[in-house]
Amino acid sequence: MPRVSRPDPERAELDRRVRAWMSEPFAEDEARFAALALELFAFQFERCAPYARFCEGRGRTPVTVRAWQEIPAVPAGAFKELALRSFPAERTCKVFRTSGTSLERRGALPLDTLEVYEASLLPTFERFVLPDLGAGERTSFAILAPSPGEAGESSLSHMFGVVVARRGSPRSAFYVQGGRLLEERLLPALRRAAESGEALALCGTAFAFVHLLERLAAAGERIALPPGSRAMETGGFKGRASERSQAELYGDLEERLGLPPLRIVNQYGMTELGSQFYDSVLREPAAPRRKLGPPWARVRLLDPATGEEVPSGEAGMICIVDLANTGSVLAVQTADLGRRVGDGFEVLGRAPGAEERGCSIAADAMLAAGEPRGAGA
Amino acid sequence: MSAGPSPAGAGAEAELRRALGRLREAGRALRALSAREVLEALGDVLEEWRDAASAPRRALAEGLPEAAGFTRPVVERGLALALGGWSAEALRELYERELGGPGGAGGGAAPARLAGGFDVTAVLLAGAIPSASLATLLAPLALRSAVLAKPAARDPLTAPLLRASLARRSAVLGAACEALRFDARDDAALGAFLAADCVVATGSDATLARVASRALPPRRFVGYGHRLSFAALGPEAASGAALEDACNRLALDVALWDQLGCLSPVSLLVAGGARDARRAAEALAAALGRAEASLPRGEVGPEAAAATAHERAAAELRAAAGGRAVVHAGATFTVVAEADAAPRPAPLHRFVRVQTAGDLPGVLAALAPYGPHLAALGAAGFGAAGAELARGAAALGASRVCPLGTMQAPPLSWCHDGQGVLLPLARLADVEP
Repeated sequence: MPRVSRPDPERAELDRRVRAWMSEPFAEDEARFAALALELFAFQFERCAPYARFCEGRGRTPVTVRAWQEIPAVPAGAFKELALRSFPAERTCKVFRTSGTSLERRGALPLDTLEVYEASLLPTFERFVLPDLGAGERTSFAILAPSPGEAGESSLSHMFGVVVARRGSPRSAFYVQGGRLLEERLLPALRRAAESGEALALCGTAFAFVHLLERLAAAGERIALPPGSRAMETGGFKGRASERSQAELYGDLEERLGLPPLRIVNQYGMTELGSQFYDSVLREPAAPRRKLGPPWARVRLLDPATGEEVPSGEAGMICIVDLANTGSVLAVQTADLGRRVGDGFEVLGRAPGAEERGCSIAADAMLAAGEPRGAGA
Repeated sequence: MSAGPSPAGAGAEAELRRALGRLREAGRALRALSAREVLEALGDVLEEWRDAASAPRRALAEGLPEAAGFTRPVVERGLALALGGWSAEALRELYERELGGPGGAGGGAAPARLAGGFDVTAVLLAGAIPSASLATLLAPLALRSAVLAKPAARDPLTAPLLRASLARRSAVLGAACEALRFDARDDAALGAFLAADCVVATGSDATLARVASRALPPRRFVGYGHRLSFAALGPEAASGAALEDACNRLALDVALWDQLGCLSPVSLLVAGGARDARRAAEALAAALGRAEASLPRGEVGPEAAAATAHERAAAELRAAAGGRAVVHAGATFTVVAEADAAPRPAPLHRFVRVQTAGDLPGVLAALAPYGPHLAALGAAGFGAAGAELARGAAALGASRVCPLGTMQAPPLSWCHDGQGVLLPLARLADVEP
């Protein structure tokens, strides 16, 4: 039996302080964020050798870094090839993996505790997806994703599992099994909700929503979900053969399920992060739609050429500094583009109708699209 | 007719219907000419386009940089290389190779097989590489089919320039080629466009799927999808002058069209060990550094810049984590020596991975996951084993195996996407004795 090392007291103290913030009402606190971020950076620099060497290569060490904005960010893609953890391997209790095809490596986030992850996800979800529910009030969830029992390596399924356990009514259920949307169970549940007047929270991947909407369209069916219902979608369509814009998806959700866009929230999150960001519309319907997150996670928008923050309103690479990543690396750089909107940001997709200059397909797009045609059974 | 501003809304549909009507008439006049006459005229047009001082070549060199985002030296060198072998003779040979000579299309003695084009072929162009568009437009004309083209947004020049060339050579040919710009998201306009008898579409899998779903039988549909290409380095070019020569050639293949074409190599697979790959990466980085001056890179959008920065940082992190990657970063290029040949993202825009494939079977194993998406394999240094490499790459799905330095110069007869050039667009009839 492998020998399990003792808990790291320094880490336990950092976790305790981060979780303490997560247990309080949301409040921005720049000094608190900066102090915790710099301490966490120093801790991770000490414990995660690949990250330390990466930082040294950029001339950034706990000695030279004076502001949280100077903490070097690791590219999200690196989680596909390196175990970026700040704890001994034998203490791993859970590994979340990114989705992917058999052709590509999947990103992996090893965790030695789920406490910080869960402490982060729940209040953020409640604030941005369930802002109109009273404290402790439960609602009926229809989850368009596999259950955590079936998809043990999916951080999204785990998140939904936590949310349903803490805020779901007994009628809540998961409606994806074996990679298939369980239409025969989901559609009756939606009809029952429409008839009973009990509000429903539909949550899942954008692609699962598309399957549901295509099914309803094929049957010529419209189900008017009761007032108070909402939808939360995530994931997008990158690399999928049947791409559609978010506006088209939201239009179809309104037409087929009676959910106006102001009741639909997009989540921006990734396996490599402990915190998530959500559209503001359920919380602030009159304000511009933008992504907001918890105070223990900050977003920077960087010029790809210089690595410097772009001026407000300009597009930049989304870089996230997330205190919930105590066990891995707190600063993660994505290849996504975003733009600052007020106190939040928006994620920029490809412009509709934009044409490419070349006829080459980037290898990641090809790999993300799935198995080559004609390959295998 | 011209590739002027897009007609708006219902106007686009009506304009396309009128154009289709004109082209049906023009197609009849075209088919009144013999196949030999048409081939001769098209051959003259090709000869004009081969001349760097000709009107269309000058217009492309002047206009394409702004429209497509390539620098002028890249446009000039790319066209010189691509069109160098596209002669009148090459067109005749292509016709004979695929259709058995122009006599088979209507002249001379009764043939066993008759070949001709459809009345009108609609050609949906994509991308910004003019030589690719030129070849796609010429093929139906060679079969005496009139052409209705939708130019690519990033190359609005090639189609109208070709029409002007055709008109200078033959009024009948000039009238048989029209280019109209419209918004492909306009369903009514797209429907009118796809009312042609044969539809040729280039673009992404999503674009092809959308067009194919509308171009239903008995209409002929021919699609050319997005592809990617690789380079391979054998033991005979693993070091010294042979390595330097191979990397200079590869740098040209990468720099032309800023690595955005389906014939642009995204990765160099080295049939050797990690040390060989590191040496090749160093030589390639030096060659790409030299190419920065003579073939400067064009525009890079924020999405591509972000992808490049992300992949460069990921490689740097892997390098820091234990030397499994070595990064050579120039102002406008990135070369990453990899210790394996695993599939990894390819941000394009002069980002090349030099991967350790071990040996020739390792090279083929590295190509295998990309099989149906493969376009070309450029190779150097395999000596007698080159034939084995070519057979293996072809079996995986590559439609072209060629020497390094020539990847951007496919012959006119290149079986694009593994299809013939003229045959997919032809109506054939066997006449039995």
